[in-house]
Amino acid sequence: MLEIKNLHVKIADEDAEILKGIDLVVPKGEVHAIMGPNGSGKSTLAYVLAGREDYEVTDGDILWNGESILEMAPDERAAKGVFLAFQYPMEIPGVAGLTFLRTAANAVRKKRGQEELTTPGFMKLVKEKAAELNIDVEMLKRPVNVGFSGGEKKRSEILQMAMLEPSLCVLDETDSGLDIDALRIVSDGVNALRSPERAMLVITHYQRLLNHIVPDKVHVLAYGKIRKSGGKELALELEKSGYAEFQKDAA
Amino acid sequence: MNVAVMKTKAEMTLAETFGSVAEALPGGAEVKAARAAAIGRFAAGGLPHRRIEEWKYTDLRGVMKDALPVAVGDETKTTIADVIVAMGAIGRIDAPRFVLVNGRYRKDLSNLSGASGITVTPLSEKLAEGDASGLDATDEDRGASALLALNAAYVSDGAVIEVKDGTKLDLPLLVVHVRAGAVPQLSVGRNRIVVGKGATVTIAEIFVAVPGSTVDGQVNSASEVQLGEGASLSHIKVATDLGSVTHLANWLVELGGESSYRAFQYTSSVGVARNQLRATFKGEHAKLDISGVFLGRKSEHIDTTLFVDHAVPHGESRELFKGVLDGEARGIFQGKVIVRPDAQKTDGKQMAQALMLSETAEFDSKPELEIYADDVVCGHGSTAAELDHDLLFYLRARGIPLDQARALLIQSFIGEAIAKVDNTALREALMEEAETWLASSAAKSV
Repeated sequence: MLEIKNLHVKIADEDAEILKGIDLVVPKGEVHAIMGPNGSGKSTLAYVLAGREDYEVTDGDILWNGESILEMAPDERAAKGVFLAFQYPMEIPGVAGLTFLRTAANAVRKKRGQEELTTPGFMKLVKEKAAELNIDVEMLKRPVNVGFSGGEKKRSEILQMAMLEPSLCVLDETDSGLDIDALRIVSDGVNALRSPERAMLVITHYQRLLNHIVPDKVHVLAYGKIRKSGGKELALELEKSGYAEFQKDAA
Repeated sequence: MNVAVMKTKAEMTLAETFGSVAEALPGGAEVKAARAAAIGRFAAGGLPHRRIEEWKYTDLRGVMKDALPVAVGDETKTTIADVIVAMGAIGRIDAPRFVLVNGRYRKDLSNLSGASGITVTPLSEKLAEGDASGLDATDEDRGASALLALNAAYVSDGAVIEVKDGTKLDLPLLVVHVRAGAVPQLSVGRNRIVVGKGATVTIAEIFVAVPGSTVDGQVNSASEVQLGEGASLSHIKVATDLGSVTHLANWLVELGGESSYRAFQYTSSVGVARNQLRATFKGEHAKLDISGVFLGRKSEHIDTTLFVDHAVPHGESRELFKGVLDGEARGIFQGKVIVRPDAQKTDGKQMAQALMLSETAEFDSKPELEIYADDVVCGHGSTAAELDHDLLFYLRARGIPLDQARALLIQSFIGEAIAKVDNTALREALMEEAETWLASSAAKSV
């Protein structure tokens, strides 16, 4: 279970608060969506969950399975099962996709006390997962994300997610830059990972993604706070009314 | 400019001891005369110093304070096992090798089987026969004349490599310069490489030290290279001397028409290194690709100074150097490209990049393009940067620990240059050397 308690965050070296007291609980087995206007702090929340150092938590806590993760380095969080699918996946020139996937998968396995993957074992797994996401394994021999289209980069993120077998998936605007077909493939990939043991936080600006990845709950994040929570129908309301009412509420 | 300069102790010793040392060096009367003329040229100018533009970052007067005794023969009991250990990952490559220990050819450690189409003769034999060719070589444009003169005066041995026309050899020929023993010395070697028409070969010069040897020493090495028409040479240099050695190397290269010269220079764990390369296009439609990797830590100092002379039209040159600098290491790249008035349709590109792993490391990069022809394409670039923090976060968010993430990014940075090595065995061995270096140093510091 993910528990975010009164989380206050600012950018290191700056004064302005971005997150002003977030309270949120996502039980295992549930998918929660976070929607909100641009600049509301959605991506900041995603980065803080993954442990990016450019942010400073000034108050509150983040608990994953009852344990605070705030003091953990990003790689330790990954080993604990936290996975952030980036809004803008990065290109890593000179590092082949397969090398990257194998290094990452074995790093988390080692920390989790699982056996590391052998070369044949890894190849079998990666072929299987790549096929589900319609990714050509040949593409993974090239440097990570270099020369990939927007859709290919997002599928590559979901492949990484599948390979690392996280228990908390945070998807930051995974729908941005995707056409309808790519959106369906990516959503199918995410849905395949839904399980009673996994919690998911889907961050999006638009309702469209939530037609494919149907959430258990929807939260509206605006001006650094959760302003409203509800069922999946809340996303549809927002699609009609927009975020205007929450901006007026700004504290 | 006429400045009266005081001679340093090292300079005086190098000039004065010539008489007694020369007796012990190989060569008949003509060679002795050429050596004497060379020491005269050296004595006139002395060691290159910071007031010479090409040497402003590498002041040899300051670096070579003491003259070490000149190595005239090898008396160490170096074994083949020592040589293989000294060579690191490259020692595992099964290829013909010509081994010199402390500047002298060691037949018992060499094995040239497999080098079909190639004749390798010890330079000492040529000198003994009175062959003084090349000993008068100078390089005034880049201020290397003094070192070439010192080399000619004191050279003890080297490899004279003749590749017959049309030879095609996949195996690399390894010329291994080994330092061994407890006594710090000045070791002087010289290689001559002539690649016949249409021949394709890989020659690697390896500079290493037997573990446990003195960490001090000086190496002065020169290689003259001539490529015949349509010849193709991949010329690799690896210096991993594991000490505070001063390593001075000069390569003088001439490219025949439609020839292809691919040089790659790997330098790590050397106290002070100056890798100087001069390449001259003698025939049209020749291609030149010079690349390299320099890895420095502590107070190591690695200088790469290139001079590409497009003397004829339709030449193509590519230069790519990548450095990783940690501690208080200093990297220097001086890349001069001259396009002579007749050298139309020249295509030249140059890039030098350094990854700075500490705030106290330094990278000095000086591109110099002199273009006198009007129909050319030339470009250059240079960067010095830290590891990308966003990329590090991305790798760490995937569970890869900091040390490993840093090593992966550094490997990918230098991998682009190492990829220029065509020979698979050498390329993989160099990547392994680089990984070992990273594991022992760079990945650990922040």
